[in-house]
Amino acid sequence: MKKIAAIIWKDTALRFSTPAEWLFFLILPIIFTFLLAGGAPSGEDDPRIRLTVVDLAGTPLSGELLKALEASPSIQPVTLTLAEAEKRFDQRQISAMLIIPASFDLEQLKAGTAALDYRQQPNNLNAQAAERAVQTAIQRTGSAVQIALNAVQQAESVQPFASPAERQAYYDQSFALAQETIDQAPKRVEISQAEDKNPVLYDPAVNASAGQLLTWVFIPLLGLSGVFAYERQQGTLRRLLTTPTEKATFLLATILGQVLTALVQISLLITFGALALKINWGRDLAGLAVIMVAFTFAASAMGTALGTFIKSESQASGLSIMLGMVMSLLGGCWYPLELFPEFVRRLVQVLPTTWAMQGILALALRGQGLVDILPQAGVLMGFAALFFIIGIWRFRYE
Amino acid sequence: MKKIILIGFKDVLLVFRDPAALVMMLLAPFLLTVGMGFVTGRFSGSTSSGLSEIPVVIVNLDGGELGNSLVSVFQSAELDELLVPTVLSDTLSARQLVDEDKAAAAVIVPAGFTASIIPAAGQDPGSEVMKINLYLNPGRPTSAAVVQSIVDEFVGRVELGRVGGEVAILQLMKNGLIGQDSAALRAAGELAGKDLASGENSQPLITLNKTSQGKGTVDFDILAYMAPGMALMFLMYTVSYGGRSILVERSLGTLPRLLVSPTSTTQVLGGKVLGIYLTGLAQIAILIAASTTLFQVRWGDPLGTIVLVLAAVFGATGWGMLLTAVSRTSGQAANVGTTVMLIFGILGGSFIDTSNLPVWLQWVSKITPNAWGLDGFSTLATGGSLADLGAPVLALLVMGAALFGAAVLLFNRSSIVER
Repeated sequence: MKKIAAIIWKDTALRFSTPAEWLFFLILPIIFTFLLAGGAPSGEDDPRIRLTVVDLAGTPLSGELLKALEASPSIQPVTLTLAEAEKRFDQRQISAMLIIPASFDLEQLKAGTAALDYRQQPNNLNAQAAERAVQTAIQRTGSAVQIALNAVQQAESVQPFASPAERQAYYDQSFALAQETIDQAPKRVEISQAEDKNPVLYDPAVNASAGQLLTWVFIPLLGLSGVFAYERQQGTLRRLLTTPTEKATFLLATILGQVLTALVQISLLITFGALALKINWGRDLAGLAVIMVAFTFAASAMGTALGTFIKSESQASGLSIMLGMVMSLLGGCWYPLELFPEFVRRLVQVLPTTWAMQGILALALRGQGLVDILPQAGVLMGFAALFFIIGIWRFRYE
Repeated sequence: MKKIILIGFKDVLLVFRDPAALVMMLLAPFLLTVGMGFVTGRFSGSTSSGLSEIPVVIVNLDGGELGNSLVSVFQSAELDELLVPTVLSDTLSARQLVDEDKAAAAVIVPAGFTASIIPAAGQDPGSEVMKINLYLNPGRPTSAAVVQSIVDEFVGRVELGRVGGEVAILQLMKNGLIGQDSAALRAAGELAGKDLASGENSQPLITLNKTSQGKGTVDFDILAYMAPGMALMFLMYTVSYGGRSILVERSLGTLPRLLVSPTSTTQVLGGKVLGIYLTGLAQIAILIAASTTLFQVRWGDPLGTIVLVLAAVFGATGWGMLLTAVSRTSGQAANVGTTVMLIFGILGGSFIDTSNLPVWLQWVSKITPNAWGLDGFSTLATGGSLADLGAPVLALLVMGAALFGAAVLLFNRSSIVER
């Protein structure tokens, strides 16, 4: 036990002997989580997608449209001048812009010739989401006029109007009634998420934060291979042979040291997310602890196995960064797995990052508990067993 | 000049003989580009994003005209590629599929939904508002949002029909155009409502004219953005790796040996810079060639692409030299280089759409060659040519020159390259 503690202490001291280690241990994970989870201060708390709007009309109708856009749950209209908006759009500082032309008024709407310009950056998810919200606002803005015109048409089919003035008056009455009825219309869609018995409010920042946490814990644990390569290069492993230290003791202590360090890192990052970004990590801390411990064992086992294949510390560094990034991307840590094709979603079931991400999301987004994430934790422990066996079987002192 | 070229080529050969460096320079950006290609739907033929075949469950407890109509919408040929709808009769089973992540959403149409909007003859619609329940999967936020938008659009049309019918009847009654006869009222209301809800007899009053950024009708290839994004990020690794060779040669003693030969400090430094620059160029050229050959990436104007690559590698080389100048050991340079690579990657837009970052952070991103490089590659991918690359190319050249100047000053001060 004393030997194990001594080796853990030696490894930890070595790892944190340079200030640069703190970059990867805490500083970079915090920067990435902060940026990807939307924590960077922008001077506003509105989480909606910003949509730049240029109102060249300044008419009551354009005012109605702006109100409808402001009421959208998914976009936040930001009014700019045309020159400023075009400049920012050309510099790709904005995803999309809506231009309300000077001619946009009620007369044009009645004539059915009203048009808006929507410019978007190519293949941009924010721009596509904003477009849907704009379509909804357009439908709402135009519907009162459409209903009033329809009412006039119905009246004309019963009896023609005596004069254009009478027709206009009928239209105005219908328009006012339509607006009033639309304003009083009840909601006919209700939205619920996760289980009712333990509801958790959906927070997109959880996805980003959980993904970054896994990425930044995974890469250093794969880098455990570098510890073995370093000791092998320095000849310190050979020296161990001359001491009464079992191979199992050395391996256990080295792996345990990295796992404990990773668990400290996880605790710090979870605390940061909860305090600085107000992230709800779910209500079941035991479940969170189990999935995280299982993940760190799986990742360190992969690092151990990798350590038996590589020859130098620089190889370990390059491979752990590359494998860590690729597995994180494919495991759904950077983008939701739903965006991947079906065959890729099936293939990535062989990655520990996929199972860990599913476990965290089940706890944080679905309101599930320890019992529900046991399958994911079990698979991760299976990864750990498999790669530890490979690592120990192939381990050599020289 | 010959010595500079010799030193430069020697460094290029050394880098390309190091398997660990090749992993980071070539394999990592290539694999990440493939991954991003999957995310964006580039390899699955999708035109917008990776979304397709979204599993959705519909429970139609209504059985009326509107409930059936919503089911038809989800089963329509128009949404065939986007959705995979399953109709169930049991709400609990539908929710369970969402809980088990087997469906993006469950759409539950309650019993009496149609009757609450279109009451049958002689029936009172009642005061209770029947609501469609959308049970969304938080693990599939984008797919769930698509399902929600489809239901919202359907309900919007239904509401337009209901209000339209109501307004038409009330106006006809108020103006004495029809009597209080309930059958006549109902017939008029239904006619007006259906006209509006179907949209058959009414054109949309407001047209949304959509345009994507770019010149002319260019078929935008998302990989022409993603591939350079990853290449530029790992270019920062390459240039810091190249810079590290100065520190490694110094610690191994080969640099002082070189300097006792009839080779000036300027020649040594020039050779090192040339080596870094050529390595960066080779890296980007290989990645461009590989993605063009394997994925048929459309990069845009070839001349513009060449000039932009030359400028981007120059800007990045400036950063590589500066990082070397401020580092004391090769290990320190490696750590700082990897850190800068990752930070520049996220700030420059290799991972995320930077337009959603705060404006002040978008300005900070301008210090990265990634941001300017990606700006240029986007311009080319959307139909621009060399003539449109003035700003990014100039910015990259100024960046490279300024950073190189700063690095030389720091080298002189720290006496790294000295006999």
